[in-house]
Amino acid sequence: MSEWFDFAIEHLPYVLQGIPTTLGLWASAMVIGAALGLVLAWARIYGSRPIYLAATVYVEIFRGTPMLVQMLFIYLGLPEIGIVFDPLTAAIIAIGLNTAAYQAEYFRGAVRSVPVGQMAAARALGMGQFQGFKNIILPQALRRVIPQWSNEAILELKYTSIAYAIGVTEITARAEKIGYETFQFFEVFLLIAAIYVVMTSVVAQILLFVEKRVSVPGL
Amino acid sequence: MPYLVHGLSVAIALLVCLLSLGLVLGLLLSVAEVYGHWTLRIPCTVFERIFRGIPAIVLLLLFYYGVTDFIEMGSFMAAVLALGLRSAAYQSQIFRGAFLSVPQGQMMAARAMGMNKFQAIRDIVLPQALRMSIGPWTNEFSSELKATSLAYVIGVVELTRQAKYIISNTQGNILIVFAVVALMYFIVNRAGNWALYRLENRLALPGFEHRGDA
Amino acid sequence: MLLRVENIHKSYGDAEILKGVSFDMEPGQSKVIMGPSGTGKSTLLRCINHLTEPDQGHVFVDGEELTSKNLNAMRQKVAFVFQDFNLFTHLRTVDNVAIGPRKLRGFDKKAALDLAYQELDRVGLSDRADAYPAELSGGQQQRASIARALAMEPKLILFDEPTSALDPELTGEVVSVMNKLASEGMTMLVVSHEIGFARQAADEIIFMEGGKIIEQGPPSQIFEAPQQDRTRAFLNVIEHGGHE
Ligand SMILES: Nc1ncnc2c1ncn2[C@@H]1O[C@H](COP(=O)(O)OP(=O)(O)OP(=O)(O)O)[C@@H](O)[C@H]1O
Ligand SMILES: [Mg+2]
Repeated sequence: MSEWFDFAIEHLPYVLQGIPTTLGLWASAMVIGAALGLVLAWARIYGSRPIYLAATVYVEIFRGTPMLVQMLFIYLGLPEIGIVFDPLTAAIIAIGLNTAAYQAEYFRGAVRSVPVGQMAAARALGMGQFQGFKNIILPQALRRVIPQWSNEAILELKYTSIAYAIGVTEITARAEKIGYETFQFFEVFLLIAAIYVVMTSVVAQILLFVEKRVSVPGL
Repeated sequence: MPYLVHGLSVAIALLVCLLSLGLVLGLLLSVAEVYGHWTLRIPCTVFERIFRGIPAIVLLLLFYYGVTDFIEMGSFMAAVLALGLRSAAYQSQIFRGAFLSVPQGQMMAARAMGMNKFQAIRDIVLPQALRMSIGPWTNEFSSELKATSLAYVIGVVELTRQAKYIISNTQGNILIVFAVVALMYFIVNRAGNWALYRLENRLALPGFEHRGDA
Repeated sequence: MLLRVENIHKSYGDAEILKGVSFDMEPGQSKVIMGPSGTGKSTLLRCINHLTEPDQGHVFVDGEELTSKNLNAMRQKVAFVFQDFNLFTHLRTVDNVAIGPRKLRGFDKKAALDLAYQELDRVGLSDRADAYPAELSGGQQQRASIARALAMEPKLILFDEPTSALDPELTGEVVSVMNKLASEGMTMLVVSHEIGFARQAADEIIFMEGGKIIEQGPPSQIFEAPQQDRTRAFLNVIEHGGHE
């Protein structure tokens, strides 16, 4: 055990240098996912038939296939038709598009759980449908969605490690590199396992704090 | 294409193995967590937290590169263990929720008849809890099907790895190959969900049928 | 003597719920326990078959003391009927009744089912044998749970307010089953405010308040000439004000 600590301390700095990449990848993907997820949710609730169908197909495809396949498709496949991304960008896009599909479902569920009377009251005040959505429904729905959204955020933080498979030098990739240099694979993967556990716990605490801060009685 | 079908069969074999391991272990964990003494509960909860906190990829690498230092095993076996233990952690959550949602009166009535705790769990609570677990378990099935693709990183020649070989050998058709692969996952996922949904309805008790959409 | 309850004490935290309760029952007797809400009637009943562990005191059934060692065997002799039925949700009515004989009394499947049909007949539910609990009315569920108790062929049945979760029009069907059992010589200890059952079937009324028995005697005495003011006041409420 103490040997492991010595090992961990020696290699920690190198691995930790990957954290900005991991967190940057995660945050960018979550932002893309939230924005696109909201649009998709809107489309699936209020959209006309073709828009509804398009959004539904999107959600089904991205939820029905593995993220790794999506990432390889973007990183290795799209260059065939002239669209080339560097690994980090490809990973951000893949994770972002993937989480958008999940977030859309959470947003949709949350919007659905806002009583219909709320929209009726907004319309009665003279708001249009979009205004009513933006000003009345969304603020309530977003508060309700926080627990599920937090869960999703933490899942995605762990999924950023998939970017390692297309050569993004985030922490998992750095760990593997150390593994090949030292042949102490077990030790180094144990180290990053611990780092992920710490990262996800910290993020979970922060999100819990946010949830408490924005909570409204009765919601 | 035959290569892809072979890759798919490996993926499905991996899926079946890891889900079975996860099912047995997950059930044991959940029983221990709900009904066990605290000396049993705490290690089970720690196990669950750890395996849910570590990314699947890291677990795969840990088992493949790491644990094979101590115990000889192939990449398929490493993938079954890594993903299976992780699935056990997730499944134990599902079963725990189901156990807790069986009304307490059921256990009480069973004990009042003279059943011991084991009999009451086996004959009364478990059959009800398992029925309630099928819905959430369907999500776990989907997640794990997709997670099998991650065994790619430790060289298990499952569907995704097979696709990668094909495109390295043939140079080109990358989009098509990945589209076909995606379609395969999609179909297996849909078929599995459909079958589980059927099972859930078949076993549903009168008065507890599905409300609304699939 | 079939049942001897000796000096039962039970506290939850600082609150002493049962403050030393003792009484006996002979085979074939029916006793009804009455008393205000929160007095510890349910707690007493649950202490009798150790669904709740008493802090102090002893319970003897047929001369044998109930201990943690013989708990499951003794519970087979002392059946319990719950206020909210607690039928096993995943089993058809007949299987609810058969499961005890099958799993606990060593009956084979056919014998267990035969007995179950017989007991369902006894409570007038033969025609609902294949229904699931959720498909039964409250009164039918309670009769099924009585059949489940009977299938254990117990020495004694404990009833905890068996009709208080039922609509008034369904109470009668359960009470008449209980009357019938009493007249067939079943030993029954019943927590209930059903005056009809108490007058017709009970050999003795036990009146509890504040965790103690404050008065007991035959129904004629308790209803016509209660000794204690508390008893009289309480009976006034339930006879004229219906349920509390
Ligand atoms: N598990 C428990 N933990 C703490 N307090 C309890 C518990 N069970 C019962 N009590 C308390 O013990 C007291 C007696 O409860 P009990 O259910 O025995 O009353 P009761 O006479 O059956 O009343 P009722 O007529 O309402 O059924 C109540 O104050 C109740 O709150
Ligand atoms: Mg009570």
